[in-house]
Amino acid sequence: MPSPPHAPFRYLQALWFQLTGTLCNLECRHCFIACSPTNHRLAFLAPETVYHYLDEAVQLGVREVYFTGGEPFLHKQILPILAQALRVAPTTVLTNGTLITPSVADALAALHAESRYSFEIRVSLEDVDTARNDAVRGPGTLAKALHALQLLQERGVLPIVAVTEYLYDGNGSPGQPGTGSGFYQKFRDFLLAHGIRKPRLKVIPVFAMGKLEGTVPLASYVTPEMLHGFDVDTLQCTKARVVAAGGVYACPLLVGEAKARLSADSLHQALRPCSLYHTACHTCYVTGMTCANY
Amino acid sequence: MSYQCIAVFGGVYNNHLALAAAIDDAQHQGAEALFCLGDLGGFGPHPDRVYPLLHQHGVQVMQGNYDISLAQGLEDCGCGYTDPRDNYFAEISYQYTFQHTSEEHKRWLATLPDFFRVQLGPYRLYMCHGSPRRVNEFLWESTTPDCLLETFCRDYAADVILCTHTGIKWHRQLSHDRHVINVGVLGRPENSGETHVWYTLLTATPRLQVTFIPVHYDYQALAQEMRHEGLPEEFVETILSGWWTTCLEILPGKERARGQW
Repeated sequence: MPSPPHAPFRYLQALWFQLTGTLCNLECRHCFIACSPTNHRLAFLAPETVYHYLDEAVQLGVREVYFTGGEPFLHKQILPILAQALRVAPTTVLTNGTLITPSVADALAALHAESRYSFEIRVSLEDVDTARNDAVRGPGTLAKALHALQLLQERGVLPIVAVTEYLYDGNGSPGQPGTGSGFYQKFRDFLLAHGIRKPRLKVIPVFAMGKLEGTVPLASYVTPEMLHGFDVDTLQCTKARVVAAGGVYACPLLVGEAKARLSADSLHQALRPCSLYHTACHTCYVTGMTCANY
Repeated sequence: MSYQCIAVFGGVYNNHLALAAAIDDAQHQGAEALFCLGDLGGFGPHPDRVYPLLHQHGVQVMQGNYDISLAQGLEDCGCGYTDPRDNYFAEISYQYTFQHTSEEHKRWLATLPDFFRVQLGPYRLYMCHGSPRRVNEFLWESTTPDCLLETFCRDYAADVILCTHTGIKWHRQLSHDRHVINVGVLGRPENSGETHVWYTLLTATPRLQVTFIPVHYDYQALAQEMRHEGLPEEFVETILSGWWTTCLEILPGKERARGQW
């Protein structure tokens, strides 16, 4: 196989924190890093580590900050960490929503109201049908996630709903507005029907890794020739970096991967070209996927 | 060239009636020069009615993403939307504008610069469409941190940066009397339930003064033209109500919460 090409680094649009490593209270069937209640492969980040990198990111003119896991709300310091991030930059937290109780929603709404920067809460769903959703994400997860969305909306926060294409059935994706059909429209209609007045949706492709390693016939790689005439700036690794246990990585999908680690302890040093060596790179290449909100 | 008072217009989106009203107002305000930060087309009716106004009144125009797409015959407007609902309506706008913009005007768009540097009193101004680094970057007030804006001012050697592209105006004062201003747009109201649009007047006497000027125009006549041209009723509703009904999935949460939809 030829050497993989590299993606240049443009600027630091997004800094990600893999806050709770691979620990999650759920064990979704398609998780791209196989998170679970017993997966301790990647450790939690200490608040001091987050603050250190936030300081460095501010010096570098970062545009936005994301927190993911695992499930970020398993971190006991999640609220002060979010508050600190919001002091310096627009911030998003990705969650399965199952740990957002009324008191947590109160705290999140207070952060949202106090911050002059955008504070986005992105809640994952899999399907609008309870049986189909819960078969992927676990018993009771659709009801809990929907409850979280409603708690947030009641408090003036407009969450984003993230959906993977894992259960995409080929019906009109992403769907034309107003037709009442299609994958995208199905979620939009569901959220409207459940009182979410301004549904915000993000559809994410499936990656053949983690729990799906070897199960999806997408094991293709990016070659140098494929970059000829291609707008490489569409790759999120040209504008994002991820802090996780062990250092700074090229993208949120490849945390913990030795070939994606760009620095052990310096964000500045990690702002350099990265290798497009993984099958996930091919998925981003084909789909134009970004883990960011937009 | 150094000025004491200038007017800066954001995206026009074919709204020739608002453009005419804004030019007239800016001239009465004593603006020495008029600038437009691009995106002449999209959304509204009769694209070719915008160009004579710009030429007649000497408006200095730069390219926005829409203008680049029209000039190069690209497949889409390059607005940078990522949501299918946004892209659906953006495509309708772009196809209409592309078909109704003359070849002569497309050729003119290709000749335009993609930024301006201007001296306003003691201030070095840098004008761009989206952001200094990317023509279609959305600089919303809630998603643009001070640290990024400080970096822009440093990297582009500017005391004041002016941009548009989002459709909603804002002004941020930074350290050392530096400023970043999103000048708003003339093309459609800014999702506040009011039908007027906005432009920005800047004076330096010598201290910088930034004034957002509301532009009241005959929006009902515009709506009538849009209907006559067969543009989507969703677009007409925005002009008549002042609330965005399309291309709003790109809004960050804070800005989205302020709108009706």
